Amino acid sequence: MSTDAKEVMVEVRRVTKTFDEFTAVSDVSLEIRAGEFITLLGPSGCGKTTLLRMISGFETPTQGQIFIAGQDVTHDPPYRRDANQVFQSYALFPHMTVKENIGFGLRMKKVPKSEAQERVREAIAMVSLGGMEDRKPSQLSGGQRQRVALARAIVCRPKVLLLDEPLSALDAKLRHAMQVELKHLQQKLGITFVFVTHDQEEALTMSDRIAVINQGKVEQLGDATAIYHQPKTTFVANFIGQANILEGRVVSRAGRKVTLRLEGGPEVTLLADDLPDDATTAMISVRPEKILIRKQREESDNVFEAEIAEEIFKGATDQLMLRTPGGLELWAVVANESARQATVHKGDKVFCHLHFDDIVVVQGN
Amino acid sequence: MTPTAGLPDTRGAERAPGLRGWLLMAPLLAWLGAFVIAPTLIMLVYSFCDRDELGQVVFTFSWSNYTRVFDPTYLKILLKSVYYAAITTAICLVVGYPVAYWVGRAPERVRNKLLALIMIPFWTSFLIRTYAWMTILKSEGPLNSLLLYLGMISTPLDILYTPTAVVIGLVYSYLPFMILPIYGSVEKLDNALVEAAFDLGAGPVRAFASVIAPLTRPGIVAGVMLVFIPAIGMFAITDLMGGARVPMIGNVIQNQFGQARDWPFGAALGMTVLLLFAATFWLTTKKDPSAT
Amino acid sequence: MKRRLFGLIFLLGIFFGCKEKPAPTPAASAGPGPSGSGAPTADKPKPGKELNLFAWSEYVPQEVIDGFSKETGIKVNYETYASNEEMLSKLLAGGTNYDLIQPSEYVIEALVKQKKLAPIDWSLVPNFKNIDPKLKGLAHDPENKYSVPWMTGTVGIVVNTDKIKDPIKGYKDVFQKKYKGRIVSLNDSREMVAWALEASGLKSNDITPENLAKVKPMLAEWVKLVKVFDSDSPKTAFLNGDVDIGVVWSGEAALLYQNNKKFSYILPEEGAHLFIDSLAIPDSAPNKVGAMMFMDYILRPEVSKLVSEKFPYTNPNLEARKLLTPDQLANPASYPPAGERETFRDIGKIASEVDKLVTDLKASN
Ligand SMILES: Nc1ncnc2c1ncn2[C@@H]1O[C@H](COP(=O)(O)OP(=O)(O)OP(=O)(O)O)[C@@H](O)[C@H]1O
Ligand SMILES: [Mg+2]
Repeated sequence: MSTDAKEVMVEVRRVTKTFDEFTAVSDVSLEIRAGEFITLLGPSGCGKTTLLRMISGFETPTQGQIFIAGQDVTHDPPYRRDANQVFQSYALFPHMTVKENIGFGLRMKKVPKSEAQERVREAIAMVSLGGMEDRKPSQLSGGQRQRVALARAIVCRPKVLLLDEPLSALDAKLRHAMQVELKHLQQKLGITFVFVTHDQEEALTMSDRIAVINQGKVEQLGDATAIYHQPKTTFVANFIGQANILEGRVVSRAGRKVTLRLEGGPEVTLLADDLPDDATTAMISVRPEKILIRKQREESDNVFEAEIAEEIFKGATDQLMLRTPGGLELWAVVANESARQATVHKGDKVFCHLHFDDIVVVQGN
Repeated sequence: MTPTAGLPDTRGAERAPGLRGWLLMAPLLAWLGAFVIAPTLIMLVYSFCDRDELGQVVFTFSWSNYTRVFDPTYLKILLKSVYYAAITTAICLVVGYPVAYWVGRAPERVRNKLLALIMIPFWTSFLIRTYAWMTILKSEGPLNSLLLYLGMISTPLDILYTPTAVVIGLVYSYLPFMILPIYGSVEKLDNALVEAAFDLGAGPVRAFASVIAPLTRPGIVAGVMLVFIPAIGMFAITDLMGGARVPMIGNVIQNQFGQARDWPFGAALGMTVLLLFAATFWLTTKKDPSAT
Repeated sequence: MKRRLFGLIFLLGIFFGCKEKPAPTPAASAGPGPSGSGAPTADKPKPGKELNLFAWSEYVPQEVIDGFSKETGIKVNYETYASNEEMLSKLLAGGTNYDLIQPSEYVIEALVKQKKLAPIDWSLVPNFKNIDPKLKGLAHDPENKYSVPWMTGTVGIVVNTDKIKDPIKGYKDVFQKKYKGRIVSLNDSREMVAWALEASGLKSNDITPENLAKVKPMLAEWVKLVKVFDSDSPKTAFLNGDVDIGVVWSGEAALLYQNNKKFSYILPEEGAHLFIDSLAIPDSAPNKVGAMMFMDYILRPEVSKLVSEKFPYTNPNLEARKLLTPDQLANPASYPPAGERETFRDIGKIASEVDKLVTDLKASN
């Protein structure tokens, strides 16, 4: 998805945040485009919330600047920023009804009563909470609370909506349903969403772009396919999906074509764009589902032999551990075909086929 | 044990206490019975009696003590006591709330130190603290010396033995009773709610009025009652720091058991004040939406 | 020396219920009293092992108590009170069996009327002979049956002669408009009414509704002029520089004079009165013999002298006075010129009218 032409809605410019000695966010720069759904993805404690809170105004950067719609808001309090946040705990006001909660922002912004009522009604309809207007938050289910929190934020029609793991408290089924709803809503409203999650699947489903964050730094920024297929670092490769990270020595090189000898294993050839000319070793990432396994040798960019050392039944897929004659171990995933027609099993000698494109050079961390 | 005793407690507040509950409460109930209910009942009986030469109770029945309560002299004093208590409560609230809020929001390890600081004055006797204030405020005391030295005044301020001194003394004595319950409420207040209010466009004032204050209301109510009610009956501070110039209802009651030698009338006054307390309590707790 | 300290706890107690029990007394207080009540046999009657002394706070030196215990082996339990009325309330409430109390003269009179005191067996108190004959046979104990004077004192005027140069002779010179806000008065309605009566040429014990009405206007003026009402420690206001003139207990005046000779003591010319604090034995006392032994002990000149040194009121013990230094005897507040002085009489029920009058005047202030 290309939104290059669109204006920048949020700009994070060389922002660092330190707590006492500890650096939670370190020299992060990020441009978020208007109408974009961007996800901050990373493991627990990597600084996602801190980054989000600097955009919403609850934390002040130690260094750097934050812009919203072209304006420097680095030192503005939250109530003067055109951004609203949906809190992880929802933070619904327990002493107010659903209607009062949703209308709160409009009351604070002194929107005329009749208009406010209309907008609240709309928002309630949008999140399908009709009939619950006069309930207190304590009388709602988790999913309903989540919708109230969402409605309370979008009713203000902010330029940017910041969401901090808004779905993490929901069970898997509801979470999937809400993911879809949320995405639809975002497309309908055209509001810029900055979404925080540590769930990679959620990030892949919903986002236009994903910023993978590790230890306070943006490790890689790109759309879902790029992040998945062209991870730049071992961290990204490992964090999103599964990956075999293998190390090899450069054996020969012809233009983009590079041949590596893997430690304790076969030689593989790949297309490398950004491997330095003088590199003698390289680290590669291979997705398990990209390894094609056949009993017979077939025509391919790379073929090598291996034995199935382990077979794990995973429902729709089988997970196989392959061991090459040289002792290299790597994982593969195959579709679980009909049991009768069972193809490969533990102990079988098989041929592994790998495309140039499916081998990605990554940087170590 | 009630039949529901083994089940999860879903409606805890409404559940009647089981045998175990009663047993656990027994010491408290005994204490209440012996030191609150019984004396109150005795006083109730006294308040309808007559007195002898030494002021002791003679058992007859009459309403005359209660009619005397409505003598303008005593009504005036009662009103004045309420007035002083109200001012004290208001100042304690205005001063105490920000302190309680600030302490309640402070990082945990700082918080305990700050709480200790608030409690430290309780380690010394009430009289000593009051005398300390008298020393500070007296004509030739440190406060006046400092102000004179700084050239802010040319003659010593007359603070001690004035209503101002009484209010200073009352506020000083009761401030912790305002701070602690509010602190309790603030500590329980989820910070995300405050942030949500800011996030939705509420400035500090509106966030306080529409979110923080309603959610810390139980603490405010408790603080107001813990200050207002005892402040009405307080007499030691008005005597010491106010020079006993303005009698408070507490002084009047005290005198009935002392020099005036009229226990039954003292009891009637006490019962009236008790009734007033009960009314205050009922009014402030009547509708408390955030009680749950 | 503080004639009236705050009986705080006591008063809190009676605030909600009157019959609070005094602190529990050791069981031994029920020790063998003079069985057969009186009728002294040829042998000396034996005292109980413990003596429950109920006296003013700061009025009985610890060394006196220790000396008595050491000599007789009788353990003294010293419980204190802050006003005559507090003592009366506790005594009448029963509970503790006090052996020895220390009331002022008008309370002795009331207790005698109510037959609450035990007669003293003078054969056990031979030192009574040391008491000033002028203090014997007074109105409150005309037959000398029930009380032994402890200390006596007057109520008079203290003037800070550094600040006030005008000659001060009586109450009317104290309560002048020009001294408004510089006056201290005892916080005692009976005393104040007595002063007004004396200033009006009436007798201090002539308390009738008509006389109260007569002195009301004068008292109303006086109350307006006073800066501090304090019975506990009126000297404090002088020492703090908050007042320059006032009417106080002679003991307080004596301490002020000891502190600085600028504080002079004047007995009001309109008429001064005398108070006599005495030891007496409640008729319910279990250890009457011990109580009489204590009386005799404190009547020894060298013991009585100790009391005088600590609490410079007027010592009624003529033999003890001989042991005092010229300086002590020259203190005009302790030993004012001789003269005819009235003592307070029990006024019974009208006490409540006296209290109401002063309360009313203060409240209208
Ligand atoms: N106020 C603070 N004081 C000190 N350290 C903090 C503070 N807030 C966050 N940190 C630290 O900064 C780091 C990043 O925290 P942050 O909350 O941004 O993580 P996160 O990525 O949101 O994690 P999670 O997925 O668990 O919510 C953490 O190590 C955290 O301990
Ligand atoms: Mg977080």
